[in-house]
Amino acid sequence: MTTLALSLGPPALVRLHDVLICLSKFSDTVAIEAEHDLLRLSALNSTKTAFASFACERALFFEAYSFTVPQSTAGSGAGDRFYCQIYIKALLSVFRGRVDRNKDTAVERCDMELHEDPQQTECRLTVRMICGLGVIKSYKLTYEPASIQHAVFDRSRSTNQWIADSRFLRQIIDHFSLSAEQLDMYSDSGKAVFTSFTTKIMEGKEVLKYPVHTSVATDKRDFEEFLVEDNMHIAINLKDFKAVVAHAETANAAVTARYTRPCKPLQLAYEFEGVAAEFTIMTRGEVESDTAPSLSRTAISQLSQRQTTAAPIAVRRVETPRAPSQNAQMPPPPPRARPIRPLNGTSTQEHLSLSTASEQPTASALSMEYDSLFVPADDDRQWDEMNEEEEEPQDILGWDASGRPDASEGTLRDEEPDFPKMGGKRKREAREEMGIPPTQRMSQVRGFGLFD
Amino acid sequence: MRFRTQLKNTRTFFKLTASLSSLGKVCWMRLEYNVVRFTVIPDQGTQVWAQIPVDTIFEESSYQLESNSDAINIEINISLLNRALRSTFGASSSQLRLTKKDKVPLLALTVLTTEWTEGNMALATNEATPQPPASGPTAQNEVVGDRGARERETWVTQEVPIKILHEDVVESLHEPHCPDPDVHIILPNLMQLKGISDRFTKLASSDSKGRQPGIVAADQATSTTGATALSTNIAPKLELSANMHGKLRLAIATDELRIASVWSGLVNPPLDPAHITQDQYSQLPSERMREAGDDDEAGWAKVRIDGKDWSRVLSVGRLSPKVVACFINETALVLYVYLPGSWNGEESCLTYYINSFTT
Repeated sequence: MTTLALSLGPPALVRLHDVLICLSKFSDTVAIEAEHDLLRLSALNSTKTAFASFACERALFFEAYSFTVPQSTAGSGAGDRFYCQIYIKALLSVFRGRVDRNKDTAVERCDMELHEDPQQTECRLTVRMICGLGVIKSYKLTYEPASIQHAVFDRSRSTNQWIADSRFLRQIIDHFSLSAEQLDMYSDSGKAVFTSFTTKIMEGKEVLKYPVHTSVATDKRDFEEFLVEDNMHIAINLKDFKAVVAHAETANAAVTARYTRPCKPLQLAYEFEGVAAEFTIMTRGEVESDTAPSLSRTAISQLSQRQTTAAPIAVRRVETPRAPSQNAQMPPPPPRARPIRPLNGTSTQEHLSLSTASEQPTASALSMEYDSLFVPADDDRQWDEMNEEEEEPQDILGWDASGRPDASEGTLRDEEPDFPKMGGKRKREAREEMGIPPTQRMSQVRGFGLFD
Repeated sequence: MRFRTQLKNTRTFFKLTASLSSLGKVCWMRLEYNVVRFTVIPDQGTQVWAQIPVDTIFEESSYQLESNSDAINIEINISLLNRALRSTFGASSSQLRLTKKDKVPLLALTVLTTEWTEGNMALATNEATPQPPASGPTAQNEVVGDRGARERETWVTQEVPIKILHEDVVESLHEPHCPDPDVHIILPNLMQLKGISDRFTKLASSDSKGRQPGIVAADQATSTTGATALSTNIAPKLELSANMHGKLRLAIATDELRIASVWSGLVNPPLDPAHITQDQYSQLPSERMREAGDDDEAGWAKVRIDGKDWSRVLSVGRLSPKVVACFINETALVLYVYLPGSWNGEESCLTYYINSFTT
């Protein structure tokens, strides 16, 4: 029988409420994932472009925490973790307005218990609010089993990073119009520029309904740290950014953003009172063609999703505090490494079915991994012009549904440097064997003299 | 066509646009050499014609206007402009100019803020936030040292889409002509007046909710003859009346309740003698009304106005203006709203035209 029992003091209860509020801006359900030393609450939005995760540390966040799994299942694939998901609104209503110190019946402690037993027909999450004057309020909530998915983000590969106070970010957001949908970020000679825009196509006549275009140029020195490639535009959903900043402000935390380049995920992270918050958000924008001519296809990020069996690099990375100076000196990834994507992950079944709807699984996973000349046989869309942002394919995050515990962290890093090397070799082999692969378009090979 | 200016008194500009946007989103803004005019004519309800001297909201020395017709006519979503003007709070300089992007004409507001309005960010960060995940202690100290001493610059650009109106288009728009008022009186404190008006409207509409059929029937008769024809609007009508002896009465009546508030000791301002001869003066309807006694009901001029519309009109109170209300008995109410500092001087004036509903 799996049991989870925990106690929260009033401050943690407020934190938990704030966390749930934040998660509710991403999804209707919260995934709860219990491990021996932490409890993770996460949410994934419906378009799978944003993933929010709060990992609450056992020792710091909880007054008491105990988690046991039956021995029999511990050895199997699920590991010693427990997953379930709950409708956020149900959970929110339990915690709403519970900590009001002026009331006699303010909550003094909150106990949560969960017993899952295959023999039992009724499994519930029980929340007990121990209030003043001996009042005890009990809630029983239903939950449902879930396959937990984590967005994959490899911090060690991020090439751009900034850290800013959440209130500073809030002041930037305040300038944006309420209806703005997207946020573009770039840096330009000492300035960090945040621009809100809306990609909605407007009818010519309704000029007055056009959204206001707002740009805020701040000094880089207003950031605690700002190490970002100049003139690289990266855009995310403004609503997601607002949700993150609003929560970071309640936690009074400084937000760290890490990213590599457009159409690759961006991660916003901060820590407070034993909770590590991470938001992995898909970005959009144009990949600059002069720096990486062979990469200027947004289809890359799509391809990455189709990977099925590639080694799951980078699961989640535990916070490894590094001095910023170290970051600054971090050598840029080898030239081939960037094409390979810092994002790498295994797709879940569910995800596969979604993403392959319009594309055929073609050639070998190998050839696509490296974004060579090979193209999927029938995917014509990627030849469409990609200048217009609204025509970009919807990007989807990569996942790790392996259910592996964080224990594998140490080995991951060791594997990474090997990857490009090994990949390069394999690629060369593939070239030699295949010459021009059958999937290559005729139009592509013209000009080489063979088919002219 | 060219327009560019530095802004001043951006709070006033912000409040002005907020008041205008409560009546309607689409605003006709007319830039002239000496004045800026704002006109909002909604499909229903009160229209407002505002005339603001350039130096009330713009820095006159930086004001540049070039146009073949000596004026630039702009159609703008005034609530978007209002929202954009929020960025000017605490700014060290704000500039407004006419520009174009991708063939869409824009009013671009560029704001330079040399300091964040809410205190010293660096200090707050240092004290209150937990150590950011990826920064070592030494690095952070350096950063803080750098940030603390310096004045920081932030540039904000707000691009509000607009439509340029040709002179022909606006030629047909004229300010309404009204007969001479029967009663003119300076309104009491608008916050108080709005508070009481809103309370009355709320009381009457919650009362009518329970008995809607009857009210609807009564109201339909009203709206077919009502000048502005708020046909679907079943909100009860406020009765506003005044006399030439400094009294103003606000009342509302439904089947179930009848409430009234009366102000006395208000001022009936004299009309400008420069414009009228002594002979004409005695002929004015307001002078005839003055002859009626203080207690004589015949000396009162009355209008019936929509409570919600009235509430939107009174939102101009945020500018703390002086308001002269001109009553044209059973016909219309015209409000002359003078911004502070321009009383009897430079004509910084908003004119509201409110039609009276007939009984």
